[in-house]
Amino acid sequence: MSTVLQSLSTALADAVESAGRAVVAIHARRRIPASGVHWQPGVVVATNHTISRDENITLTLPDGTTAPASLAGRDPSTDLAILKLAGQSLPAASLRRDGPPKIGELVIALGRPGPSLTASWGVVSRADGPWRTWQGAEIDSLLRLDLAIYDGFSGGPLVDAGGRVLGINTSALARGVPVTIPVATVERIVAELLERGNIRRAYLGIGTQPVRVPESLARKLELESDLGLLIVSLESGGPADRDGLLLGDVLLELDGAAVNDPSDVLAKLGGDRVGKPLSARVIRGGQVKALQLTPGERPTSRAA
Amino acid sequence: MTDSMTADLAQEVAAAVNQLRHITVQLRTQGAATGAGILWNAAESDGREGGLVITNAHVVQGDRATIELSDGTAVRGRVVARDSKRDLAALEFEPGRAVVGAVVRDSPPLRVGELVIALGHPGGLAGAATLGIIHGAESEREGRTPRWIRADVRLAPGFSGGPLADATGRLVGVNTMMQGGLALAIPALAVEAWVRRAHTMALS
Repeated sequence: MSTVLQSLSTALADAVESAGRAVVAIHARRRIPASGVHWQPGVVVATNHTISRDENITLTLPDGTTAPASLAGRDPSTDLAILKLAGQSLPAASLRRDGPPKIGELVIALGRPGPSLTASWGVVSRADGPWRTWQGAEIDSLLRLDLAIYDGFSGGPLVDAGGRVLGINTSALARGVPVTIPVATVERIVAELLERGNIRRAYLGIGTQPVRVPESLARKLELESDLGLLIVSLESGGPADRDGLLLGDVLLELDGAAVNDPSDVLAKLGGDRVGKPLSARVIRGGQVKALQLTPGERPTSRAA
Repeated sequence: MTDSMTADLAQEVAAAVNQLRHITVQLRTQGAATGAGILWNAAESDGREGGLVITNAHVVQGDRATIELSDGTAVRGRVVARDSKRDLAALEFEPGRAVVGAVVRDSPPLRVGELVIALGHPGGLAGAATLGIIHGAESEREGRTPRWIRADVRLAPGFSGGPLADATGRLVGVNTMMQGGLALAIPALAVEAWVRRAHTMALS
């Protein structure tokens, strides 16, 4: 009788079952285990915030057996972590690489907060271009979800109705709102973490706040924009401090581009900028001054 | 999915919900709606002659409640079994006509991701439906029925005691509560066993 409804029901359960063969439980924090995805042979992708210890990490595999895993690297700025798993013949996830899903696409969030697989369903509520996390990492596309978050959600995969992985879910990158880190970003981070063990990011050691330059001063200095970034904190001995930036300077330009928002600074601080001088223009003592700022490599788990 | 498949799907969901309405009743105590109930195939399970409604114990606080059937007729129900620990209650009533009860799904076991439909009366609104999926089937170790079915469906007060059914309209659980954004339902097989036991106890 109800044929389409039944086939949809079976198709969803099949998608869960097939994708679930690559979803593991990760025991690396107190109480409830988190989820992870067997991304490529021997490599499990998880979320950084759900791994609270570096050692003594075990996994519960889909067949219910337990296996030890070692932490191969973390990237707090994308909330991803990589674990290595040896000597298991677990199928790897089937990845969907043809770009992000569409708004309204039916999706399933899988988790394994223990021996059993769990799922919630919903739709992609937003699918936009690249965005930057508050710690400065670039994520290839913004995927927001309209679905229920539950224990084990973070680190689990978002899959399409065919069971193909669209990315890794986390509730820790956007104030508790569920987002998915897309496949393209995960692959980039996995490759770099496997090679180096951490993600290289440039930093200046400054804290800034947008300010409006008084109109008279802007006119006097012939500024194109009256917006700038007030230096409100300066890491002692950090890259910007060493290069002579002072508290109270108003940063106008970096690398030839106007900076109106702290994210404009982060945009200039990719991993390839470490040790390469950036030209800067600041207002100091009512005058415009040119400086050279050379970003250093950001120590792990520290803000921009 | 083609346009016609989407249209078929919408029609089939509507048809399935309509079918489930016939086994869903609304319970009232002193005029106030307290929740939902499920018409049970009493004759099939234990040869009982009157009608039987299964609901949550927290839906019927006293010994009596008014049962409003899907066609709007109201009958008086008497609580014949109650188990506060399992949050189940059974009410007997004189149907006055033949009533068809729910068909319980014996097999196959539920799969995570399967579609489920919940019916209830949120805010006294009769026969409201929500669609969701099975969130987790607590592992059925050693053939034991799991304590709860967890479903990703959004229930509101008024769904308590009502049916959770699969895509073919067969009963899989009795909606009981929301916990952490997920619905908890008592497995229909466990309810079936409870009804049989409750009746045996009543006889002895």
